[in-house]
Amino acid sequence: MRNDDRSKRPLSASRRLFLQRSSLLTGMIALGGGSYLYNPKGVWAADPIKVGIATDLTGAISWGGIPNSQVAKMVIDEINKGGGLLGRPLQMILEDTATNEQLAVTKVRKLVTQDKVDVVFGGITSSMRNAIKDTIVNRGKTLYIYPQLYEGKECTPYLFCTGPTPAQQCDTFIPWLIKNGGKKFYLPSADYVWPHTLNAYARDVIVKNGGEVIGEEYFPVDHNEYSATVNKIMSSGVNVVFNTTIPPGVAAFFKQLNEAGFQKKGGRLSCVYYDENALGITPAHEIEGLASCLDYFKAINDPFGNQLQAEYGKLFGDKNPFTAGSGATGMYRGIKLWEVAVKEAKSVKREPVAAALDHAKISDGPGGGCEMVPGTRHVKMNMYTAVSKGGKYEIVEKSKGPVMPGECA
Amino acid sequence: MSQPTDLSASSRPLRKVIPWLELAILGASLILPAFTDDFWTLFLTRVFILGLLALSFDLVWGYAGILSFGQALFFGMAGYCTALLATEVGITSVLVLLPVAGLVGLIVSLILAFIVILGRRVPSTVFVALGTLTGSYVVERLARGWSYVGGQNGIPSLPRLTLANHEIAEGVWFYYMALGILVGVYVALKFLTRSQLGLVLAGIRQHETRITFFGYRVQHVKGIIFALAGFIAGLAGGMYAFHEGYVGPGQLSPVLSTQVVLYVLFGGVGTLIGAVVGAGVIEYLTFMLSEQYQRLWPIFLGLLLLVIIMFRPTGLIGFLVSGRERIGSFGRPGDSAPENDAAKNPP
Amino acid sequence: MTIIPFFFDVLAYSAIFVLVVLGLGVIASMMGIFNFAHGEFVLLGAYTVYLFHSSGLPVWAGMVAAPFVVGVVGLALERVVIRRFYATPIVAMLGTYAIGLALRETVRSLLSGQFYSVTAPLVGSFSLGEISISRWRTAVILITIAVMVGSYLLLTRTRFGLQVRAALENPALARASGISTSRVYAATFAFGSALAGLAGGLMVPIYAISADMGVPFLIKSFLAVMLGGMGSFEGAIAGAALVGATSAALPWAIKPVVADVVVFIIAIAIVKVRPEGLLSKWRN
Repeated sequence: MRNDDRSKRPLSASRRLFLQRSSLLTGMIALGGGSYLYNPKGVWAADPIKVGIATDLTGAISWGGIPNSQVAKMVIDEINKGGGLLGRPLQMILEDTATNEQLAVTKVRKLVTQDKVDVVFGGITSSMRNAIKDTIVNRGKTLYIYPQLYEGKECTPYLFCTGPTPAQQCDTFIPWLIKNGGKKFYLPSADYVWPHTLNAYARDVIVKNGGEVIGEEYFPVDHNEYSATVNKIMSSGVNVVFNTTIPPGVAAFFKQLNEAGFQKKGGRLSCVYYDENALGITPAHEIEGLASCLDYFKAINDPFGNQLQAEYGKLFGDKNPFTAGSGATGMYRGIKLWEVAVKEAKSVKREPVAAALDHAKISDGPGGGCEMVPGTRHVKMNMYTAVSKGGKYEIVEKSKGPVMPGECA
Repeated sequence: MSQPTDLSASSRPLRKVIPWLELAILGASLILPAFTDDFWTLFLTRVFILGLLALSFDLVWGYAGILSFGQALFFGMAGYCTALLATEVGITSVLVLLPVAGLVGLIVSLILAFIVILGRRVPSTVFVALGTLTGSYVVERLARGWSYVGGQNGIPSLPRLTLANHEIAEGVWFYYMALGILVGVYVALKFLTRSQLGLVLAGIRQHETRITFFGYRVQHVKGIIFALAGFIAGLAGGMYAFHEGYVGPGQLSPVLSTQVVLYVLFGGVGTLIGAVVGAGVIEYLTFMLSEQYQRLWPIFLGLLLLVIIMFRPTGLIGFLVSGRERIGSFGRPGDSAPENDAAKNPP
Repeated sequence: MTIIPFFFDVLAYSAIFVLVVLGLGVIASMMGIFNFAHGEFVLLGAYTVYLFHSSGLPVWAGMVAAPFVVGVVGLALERVVIRRFYATPIVAMLGTYAIGLALRETVRSLLSGQFYSVTAPLVGSFSLGEISISRWRTAVILITIAVMVGSYLLLTRTRFGLQVRAALENPALARASGISTSRVYAATFAFGSALAGLAGGLMVPIYAISADMGVPFLIKSFLAVMLGGMGSFEGAIAGAALVGATSAALPWAIKPVVADVVVFIIAIAIVKVRPEGLLSKWRN
């Protein structure tokens, strides 16, 4: 397959997208006649560096995959406008993993064996990462960067994780919850790996800070009937609900909890994947006072983040916003850290890039600068606690400096 | 489903197409790795494995009239069991793992057969369909919640299969292994369906009660075929897990089971070769559509499937092959499509 | 004081489930088709309400419109596609699966894969002493009862109902008596779709809208129809009530993850023992 074919393809997909938007004109200008290979008048002499993006553009996780792919495109275009890397342009090759692990392996294989990409970014769910990592890292001998917040414990060599870990989401957050909610916790959860592992960590932190866990309960991932649990929560005097049930069921849970009067009686609702995008899942009044802890919120209101938001909004509209809960911030960090590493290594080969990436550092990013913790392939970053008020987040606490990921040490 | 065109076709002198088609596909498969790049070799290996799974469905549905929406259950269970043997016990020999995979499929299908197919009363086709679908659904949910097998995350990073200290890496070696197994199973099924048992199956397909009156224990025959198909699906599942290097709950799911039904329906029911062709064509279409229309391809895939199901109920093979040849030379052509089952009105 | 929330919960969940299953059951009984796109009809109902909501129209108006919109979609699909499948129920399953896939992915693309909430026409809860009872769920229970009574009257007291029962009992005889079974089938399919649309519309405020919202109901609904017995109105309701009530009640006693699986096992076991269904007109 010829290269120019591929560079056209994502554009036609984007065009269709733009037709849905009111800002058609700005969209056309923003994309212009270009493509993912930004190449005005053949300035580039060298071959492009191939960047594979494998994410869920369709299927149940497309709410996360779409912003991930858009952030990747934005950052890669920006690097190309600034002269590329090592004098070579970046070529983004986007593959849809379709929230389907079976198809994803084939897609990632195409990236690795046919396109021979130099690095792969992507995967949203842990099950996706697990399905594709072997094809990329072991069998494909390629570098893999995973952007989403997750349960930790991923210590495969050449696999770097740029999203927050349980330690980062709990270490500052749970003391805050105890102070601003109470000591009695309830942990309603979806039954898959992330909630189990996160809860195990959270339980430790809760107990260490003098709190207690009244109940921990697991539901099928698509469960939508929570009255039994709501009743237990209401009758046992729980102060803090530390929720890890996931959409779509979470909407029913929050509604039932609210209708039972949990917040009215002073209860504190909390959920660590809840970002600005997730606020749309439930009417604002039902999650008034919900607390979340992530690596970035729009409400941080820092100049760098605001500029990113403005640029992203101009390019892609507001249907799939740039938020932390979808891994979009992790994707931003991942590409920028990799850029730094490639510059330092003066190569795109896996060994030298991985060695440089091991201690890579960026001074700016959504939520501030961040750096790899050497030897762990995880990132230390600032964490923010925010509370939802009238359908918007307000930042209530910022970590004192970057928080350690606490993984693979 | 009556097909008037088939009746007129059968009055023409009969020229066999299927053997030529089989030879052409086999010949092309044998030499392809020399001409394609690595990716397409891997892609085709996967198609062979899924084609094997499709064969298992064609056997139960096209020949025994059992509508199984649970083929992925045997496929995935075999994948999980062999993956555990490899990661927990350290066995990677292909000579152990693939027979085990087949056996797991056989045992699981026998268990399901006892629940859904066998019994005092003859179950309706719809009950079998929903029973097997539910089986697949329940086991998938259990796998998603069971942390010993990795829960939702499945079992990643499987070692490679070995044959006497040699790793069978995915690529050309795995390709010929999968092709060899597919051809072996295919030829065996071809003989089976032409044998006395095949005649009984054709009879069951035509008129189950009449065959019962001849003294055949129809339920037992069906059970045997179901278990055999389970064995084949298990074999495919074992290979699939090690080819992809990963096993997860998706490999057990009703989604995959339905996918398999679509392969066979798309290719042509009751022809064996249709199953393999259907798997290849659907996998290729899925891949190309998703490359071309990254955000909208599932819609196009749905519409395409619908159009094929509506306008070509005999599947792709129906374009090439006369009804007489497709259905086989037992009985009258035209009225033996298995869909005419008593599904509409429960007994 | 958990007895009241318990009963309310079981009732509220069963009510929604009955609405979903009723539409499926009507179609399955009449035409012998298990509609794999039923979950997507539910989704279309929800999407109609979401469209009203996002364009500033009142939500209740969307809920009134939902059954009509989905009924018309169902009618169109029946005329163009589904009627070709009546002779071949198995092909129908796959055909409706393909329709469902196309519908679901279309809505997903319209929603950009997102989840959206819609505020219920009745917000909040009223309290009975210590206990809070959701207003909207109460309304859903009442609407379900009204729909059940209405459907029953439609089937037993009207000319259309007579034709439906005739076509169900003996299609050939019904045709010979001058009833257009083709039109009865079309009307039944539209009616079943409309019920799904109504169910979808009513459940949006509770579950939020997303492309996959109909999927978890599908296999449970099939089981409920088998359980109740195909071919009777009461059967579908009984099956749905039993499955719905069990699904809602079991998590009060055992782990939800286990409860989820137990429901399926109980249902399939009952169907195995009584393949004609709990309440079936074929019972001797």
